[in-house]
Amino acid sequence: MSDLSTLPELAGGAHARSSLGWPRVARVIRSSAVALALGYVLFGCAALVLFAVPLRYAWQASVEDVRIELLREDSQRFAEVFRLRGPDGLAAFIGERVGMQIAGERILLLADAHLKPLAGNLSAWPEGLPAQPGTYTLPVNLGGQRALSTLVRTTLPGGYNLLVGRDVERFTSIEHWFWLGLAGALAVLSVAGVLGALLIRRALLTRIHSIQRTAAAIMQGDLSHRLPARRHGDELDTLAQTINRMLEQIEQLVHGIANVSNSIAHDLRTPLAELRSRLEELSLTRPAPSETFAEIEAAVSDVDSVIRMFNALLRLAEIDAGMRRSEFVEVDVADLAAKAVEFYLPAAELKNLSLSFRERGGVLMRGDRLLLAQAINNLIDNALKYVPEGGAIRVEVQRGSGDAIAIAVSDNGPGIPDAEKPKAAQRFYRGDSSRGTPGVGLGLSLVEAIAKLHGGTLALADNHPGLSAQMILRSGTPEGEPRAVSGRTAVASTARPATASIG
Amino acid sequence: MKILLVEDNERVRKFVTKGLQEAGHTVDLADNGRDGLFLAASERYEVIVMDRMLPGDIDGLAIIEALRKAGNRTPILILSALSDVDERIKGLRSGGDDYLTKPFAFGELLARLDALGRRVQVDGAQTALQVDDLRMDLLGRKVVRGTRTIPLQPREFKLLEYLMRHAGQVVTRTMLLENVWDYHFDPQTNVVDVHISKLRQKIDAEFERPLLKTVRNAGYMITAESR
Repeated sequence: MSDLSTLPELAGGAHARSSLGWPRVARVIRSSAVALALGYVLFGCAALVLFAVPLRYAWQASVEDVRIELLREDSQRFAEVFRLRGPDGLAAFIGERVGMQIAGERILLLADAHLKPLAGNLSAWPEGLPAQPGTYTLPVNLGGQRALSTLVRTTLPGGYNLLVGRDVERFTSIEHWFWLGLAGALAVLSVAGVLGALLIRRALLTRIHSIQRTAAAIMQGDLSHRLPARRHGDELDTLAQTINRMLEQIEQLVHGIANVSNSIAHDLRTPLAELRSRLEELSLTRPAPSETFAEIEAAVSDVDSVIRMFNALLRLAEIDAGMRRSEFVEVDVADLAAKAVEFYLPAAELKNLSLSFRERGGVLMRGDRLLLAQAINNLIDNALKYVPEGGAIRVEVQRGSGDAIAIAVSDNGPGIPDAEKPKAAQRFYRGDSSRGTPGVGLGLSLVEAIAKLHGGTLALADNHPGLSAQMILRSGTPEGEPRAVSGRTAVASTARPATASIG
Repeated sequence: MKILLVEDNERVRKFVTKGLQEAGHTVDLADNGRDGLFLAASERYEVIVMDRMLPGDIDGLAIIEALRKAGNRTPILILSALSDVDERIKGLRSGGDDYLTKPFAFGELLARLDALGRRVQVDGAQTALQVDDLRMDLLGRKVVRGTRTIPLQPREFKLLEYLMRHAGQVVTRTMLLENVWDYHFDPQTNVVDVHISKLRQKIDAEFERPLLKTVRNAGYMITAESR
């Protein structure tokens, strides 16, 4: 794949070309898939922490409350024993309790008024314990070990002091497990997330690489390639399909341009050659001034028709490139057609042709006013050219189904043979029957291009007899919104009285 | 008329200058934007012909805008190889009064310059146009020649009105297409000829003096003078 690496856009692909290290990691992180996955992982972790930690503290607080409640109950029980059996009785009771304990579940201490220990599992009264009865948390010396404890201090009648407490740290293992568990969950989440991200990224990159390869082949000049698109219908496939459609259009355009160049070269050579021989003959034969000037005028006229051809081709090229779509405004197609009919009416009369117009339904649409006018004019012009004397031409504008608008120019002339119909709209095509009539054969191709620009088509049908040329356009407004323009009936079909007009 | 021509192409300059001089006009020349701007600002001309592409990538439209901003109201005809309708609109929006694409027929240029430079003073209160014994009532939309009322269809009326507003000046087929039918493309211009002959039939045929004249290779003119 040496050709790929020469293309700068592709050289930066995540290939083993670059060295491992921070730049590579940075690039991986920048990958949108990885960034997204990392984002989700972070979010998940944050959610987990936000949920777990407050819960843990709330739980701890309530458990704590219960435990202190238990300590107080215990204290009260001991106070009861003291009441029933006196200090010695309590001391003995406490001694029993201590003996029965397995491992310091309770911290118990009975002391006299001078804080001298009488019974319990503390060797001395804890330092720093405030004088009032209450619940305190402080370190005590429990069997030689320093232990942080919660202590409930009670004063008994006679000045005796009772301590009932609990080693706080005894249960911290549970809390250890909690934190451990949380950390574990976060770790699993992170690892799974990162792994998943990398896997997704690899999958994406593989597909993107295949797209890049095809694109490179296309850029090398072979427009027939298409991007691989599996039929899964996911986002990349949709993208690939869209690009494929675009490639097809480009391929058609390029072929079209190639065709046009050939046609131009071929068809412009003829009038240019004629022009040249006219002028050369002039310079060779040197006729009298009056004839010379006549020839020169004819030459100017030749040049004019070549210029017209160029202009028409330029127009076609612009339209094909879709350059004019942004200029669309609201156009009353019926109005344009009526104007066109009115324009050509005298010319039709001259040839004893009847030219009529009919409109049905609201026919406003978004389009290019000038181009639409030109298209309609072209169709009528064609009909005028080819329909022999005494014939009839009818122009109709009507709304079709959906948002379609149909502009039809029908005549009862010789028409176009079915075999020639598909070719009729090609550039420079002129049917056999058209020999001897002026024109270069761009009229119908212009009409078709204009129809396409407006999202429509040009349809040539048999009118039995004659031709019906119909432009079907998309109005750009949904059905049900036609603003019917007021009463425009058949514009004067003022054929002269002697005409045998076929309506 | 005193005309300023701003054009960098020598052949076009020579060709146009000669033709204008032969038609009786005085022509000042500039072959670049700066000189053109200077001349336009410092002298009085009846019409300016401004090429759009000037040396140094100066856009003729920019010069026109500058002139308009400075309060200069001289009619300007823009010459351009850009034939797109959008370019035409751009040109007119910049302050130009007419737009002619290259290559052009000299007769077209001459007729349009005439129309620009000798604009018939049309005040708002003008209610009628008159040439010889042909009278057009703009308010009542009626046309009378001598004692006879001539019935005209709306488009014929518009056509005659344009011709009469430019009475004594050559009006080309293209000018008629643009101003009477609003067609800024090139349909078969001989269709215009048919309209003209129909009109001629109505206003000239049964009268002594023909008013609607054909000017060879140029266009038409309504005038009372006989040639």
